[in-house]
This record gives sequence, structure tokens and C-alpha cells, in this order.
Amino acid sequence: MTPNSTPTPPPPPVPPVPVDEKRESFEREALVHLDSLYRVALRLTNNAADADDLVQETMLKAYRAWDQYEKGTNAKGWLLTILRHAFINEYRRRTRHPENVDLDTIEPFAVFGEIQDEDPQGAFFDKIVDDEVLREIDKLPEAFRETLVLSDVEGMSYQEIAKILEIPVGTVKSRLFRARKVLQARLYDYAVSQGYIKGTPA
Amino acid sequence: MNCRECAEHLYEFLDREATPDLERDIRQHLEECPPCGEQFDFEAVYLKFLRARCRTQGASAELKRRVLRELFGE
Repeated sequence: MTPNSTPTPPPPPVPPVPVDEKRESFEREALVHLDSLYRVALRLTNNAADADDLVQETMLKAYRAWDQYEKGTNAKGWLLTILRHAFINEYRRRTRHPENVDLDTIEPFAVFGEIQDEDPQGAFFDKIVDDEVLREIDKLPEAFRETLVLSDVEGMSYQEIAKILEIPVGTVKSRLFRARKVLQARLYDYAVSQGYIKGTPA
Repeated sequence: MNCRECAEHLYEFLDREATPDLERDIRQHLEECPPCGEQFDFEAVYLKFLRARCRTQGASAELKRRVLRELFGE
């Protein structure tokens, strides 16, 4: 018998080219948050080029650490935590935000009290454009700005924000309250200065 | 609950972060106190406005390409 007569067993099935599971899950769970990461990065760095670099770096760090992320949990919160740490370690020193302003010492101006007769529905807000709102947000002290951005820009819960910023939920509440009130007062002043509303003469 | 307490918790309420007890107390106060109700409506308009103005921006197409290139060599 020649060796050839032995029926050759079929070659073992070639395993399908392994789908790159890591990449696939990273695209599905992490890359979908690129816009959110960019928005937060832009408000933290106040500079489009730095925001791009910060997002890029965050994604690289996240991809390297992807095995440590428990799939299907809160990827956005996890990514934002990485982004914030990268910002603190590498960018904060270079930013120009005045950090000495303490919003706790500012008594928020009661906008509704001033405007309830003229515009109780807040129609004047419609006249204020995106850029002006973002400009005023960028003037808030960092601790207040990042809290407001995570809440109002990214829609995160108090609990999620507390976790990302490593502060108690009560601090999230008080910062958010102050930040929104101060921002509202500044937008009101702006609307008065532009003649969108008469306001109450000082 | 008085007007001052109610105003202190307005954002928690509007953010749907109030505890069930607090939410009930606030609702009850708002029903009894039209001026506070108007203020809450005004603040709700403000929050809606903030969200609408701030969520328009996203990462550029170039940044998306850059990230993909860096991660996967594409």
C-alpha cells in the first residue's frame, strides 16, 4: 500500500480569522463617545488643538487599559475619568484659567426676581447664541466649570459626576447650583447689554 | 416646606435627582405656591437652553481619523 492510498484526513478547519474582539468592543463602547470626550476636553483646555491632543491621548490610554474596563458598564464615565486625569497631569499647568476665584463667596444674583415681570418665561434665552454661552462657561473657575459641563453638556447623573471628579455627591449639588446661578446671572447681564431685554436698571 | 427651602432644591428636582420624599414635598409646595411654580418653570427653560446650546459641538472628522490611525494603524 502506498501511503497515498490512505485517505488523507481533511485538513483541520482553518479557524476563522479571529475577529479582533478588542477592537470591536472598543469601537462599540468607547469610540462612540468621541464627541462627548471632545466637548469636555474643549471646555477643560479652552483650546481646540489641546482638546484634540487630550482626546487622542485619552483614547490611546483607554485602549491600552481596555482589559481593565468591565465591558458593558459605564464606558463614558470610565473614559472621562481617564481624560480628566490626563488633563490634570499634563495640561492644567498650561491653561490660563484663573483658579483663585471662589464662587462660594459670590452671592448669586436672583435673575428670576429681576425679570419676572418683563420675561417670566425666559424668552430672552433664545436670543443668546452658542458661542456666547460657551464663552461664559469658559470663564467659570475650573471646579465649577467641569461639574457644569458633565451635567449640562454631557447629561451625567450626580452620582456619575461625583465618581469622575472624586468628590461627594453633596459637593456636586452645591457646585452645580452655584455654577448655574452665576452663569445665569452673567447671561442675563449679557442679554441686557445687548438690548435683548430691558432688565432692571442697576 | 417654605419657598426658600424649595428654591434651594430646585435643580435637584429639575435634574430628577431628588429623593422621592423631597420630590413629593416640592410638588406639594409648587401646587400651593404659584410664584415658586413660575420660578421653577423659568429655571427649567434655562436648563433646556443650556443643554441645547452646549451639545452641538463634536470631534472633527480629522480627529476621528487621527484616533483610528493611531489605534489601529489605519
